[in-house]
Amino acid sequence: MMKTESTRVAFTEGLMELAKEDPNVVLVCSDSMLVIRAQPFIKAYPDRFFETGIAEQNAVACAAGLASCGLTPFFATYAGFITMRACEQVRTFIAYPGLNVKLIGANGGMASGEREGVTHQFFEDLGIMRTIPGITVVVPADASQVKQAVKAVARIKGPAYIRIGSGRDPVVFDNYEPFKLGKIRILKESGKDAALFTNGFVINRVLKAAEILEREGIRTLVAEVHTLKPLDVESIVQILGETRAAVTVEDHNIIGGLGSAIAEVIAEEIPVPLVRVGLRDIYPESGRPEELLDHYGIGVADIVNAVKKVVKRKGSS
Amino acid sequence: MKNEVEILTEIARLIRIDVVTMIHMAGDGHPGPSLSCADIIAALYFNVMRVDPANPNWPERDRFILSKGHACPALYAALARRGYFPHAELPKLRSLGSILQGHPDINKTPGIDMTSGSLGNGISIGIGMALAGRLKGQKYFTYVLTGDGELQEGIVWEALMMAKKYRLGRLIVFVDNNEMQSSGYVKEVSSLYPILPKFEAFGWHCQEIDGHNIGEILDAVKAAHDVTDRPSMILAHTVKGKGVPYMIGNNSWHKRVPTKDELNLALAVLGGDD
Repeated sequence: MMKTESTRVAFTEGLMELAKEDPNVVLVCSDSMLVIRAQPFIKAYPDRFFETGIAEQNAVACAAGLASCGLTPFFATYAGFITMRACEQVRTFIAYPGLNVKLIGANGGMASGEREGVTHQFFEDLGIMRTIPGITVVVPADASQVKQAVKAVARIKGPAYIRIGSGRDPVVFDNYEPFKLGKIRILKESGKDAALFTNGFVINRVLKAAEILEREGIRTLVAEVHTLKPLDVESIVQILGETRAAVTVEDHNIIGGLGSAIAEVIAEEIPVPLVRVGLRDIYPESGRPEELLDHYGIGVADIVNAVKKVVKRKGSS
Repeated sequence: MKNEVEILTEIARLIRIDVVTMIHMAGDGHPGPSLSCADIIAALYFNVMRVDPANPNWPERDRFILSKGHACPALYAALARRGYFPHAELPKLRSLGSILQGHPDINKTPGIDMTSGSLGNGISIGIGMALAGRLKGQKYFTYVLTGDGELQEGIVWEALMMAKKYRLGRLIVFVDNNEMQSSGYVKEVSSLYPILPKFEAFGWHCQEIDGHNIGEILDAVKAAHDVTDRPSMILAHTVKGKGVPYMIGNNSWHKRVPTKDELNLALAVLGGDD
């Protein structure tokens, strides 16, 4: 049985710690306070909680107004309602003016949307946010990382988007791992046949695949790219210089997210073979998260095959 | 000795001169919608609002959001004449490197309290500002100027609900009801009339005035200040292109640049800049 811990609870815990230190930290919800488990915050700081009703555009624009007067609003609801329904408000009133608003998107990824189906499975959020200048974009691996990421984005001035999950989120790090915004993290290095870049809880699958590959004599380097923007280009180029081959694994459309970000680095800085593992530009359906990942080509076997494919291409180039 | 209304009427006239002149010199901009709100902006910046041009980010200042951001020539003129930046900046409107962007920009222009121009968003942003003031115990008012056409945006009605719920007595919205939008008459494009009962139904305190009558504008603001338990809307009946007769009733002046002859014609009617 896989160990789980709620990234939503972790968000509220991180927020509570921030709020205790900083009276300017406030929370905006759009009928999402139960979704993100905000009750402890609302109980402790009723004056610092603003409910807009089911009105995300209003929530984002309102957060811009709050931030322009010196507050640090966190707006939390489902990822797609921030990044799609209120996309223009995020871009024009938060990102363009560089206002200090932190956006927290739940159900980020197909697997985190799981049984809700496509309307609540958000696998385009990172691509959308990444194209908007000036937003820090973060995909923490698990609950303990979410809590740290929330505090890390509060320490920087300006807009940030953090993707969180379903509330039944697999644990990736059993022990405390410090979160360093803007830096990749090497999770495993058994050799330099290929680099595996990944983020989110699919890291667990990537690590399994790396073990299987190692037993078969293919040695990989696994790196977590939790900060998609600003991207740690320098470290990525350094790894690619050593492995000369890359596979990306993410719970996101193959277009726009981590795979695209790494492809951009490869194309501009260091041309090497790349295989992307993710949702292949199609709409998924309802199901259990692990089943969905297997069904839509993000299984351990898919990752293993992707690495074999890229290593072969590297050998023939 | 001129009275307050006469002084503000004169300032509005100068703002109108600036509007047509800067759009002519810049070669781009929206004269009609700028002229319809010139009197309201003059009254706010030269009488009503507690601001300090020497300290544009003074935390206790009253806020203003030009939700119909395309009317910014009128706002830029008011800010320049109020001393936020030199009057000589006005002709640089919309040109590369200018502090005067095509639509208001909070980071580039002293005195602009929020980026705007994407229609419909001003009231929501004003709610955020009003809530922040309440939380911080500051006494400032937040003024929002919207067009009538932009009330077609759905976010406006999201905002009306929320502003009432939070009983934002320090939020005052002017609707510049010039009855026209980019592609024609509001009533034909997608009518949202009558406006006042709709705001009333959402629980707002509502008034209806002649938006070119400075005395009525000042009286309405005073009345709105006395309402502390809910937000206020002032429906200001205005004329698109007000002050320049050949622009009135001709919606091509929503966005059009006066030629040299047209500028001279406008200046002849508006009088000299003294």
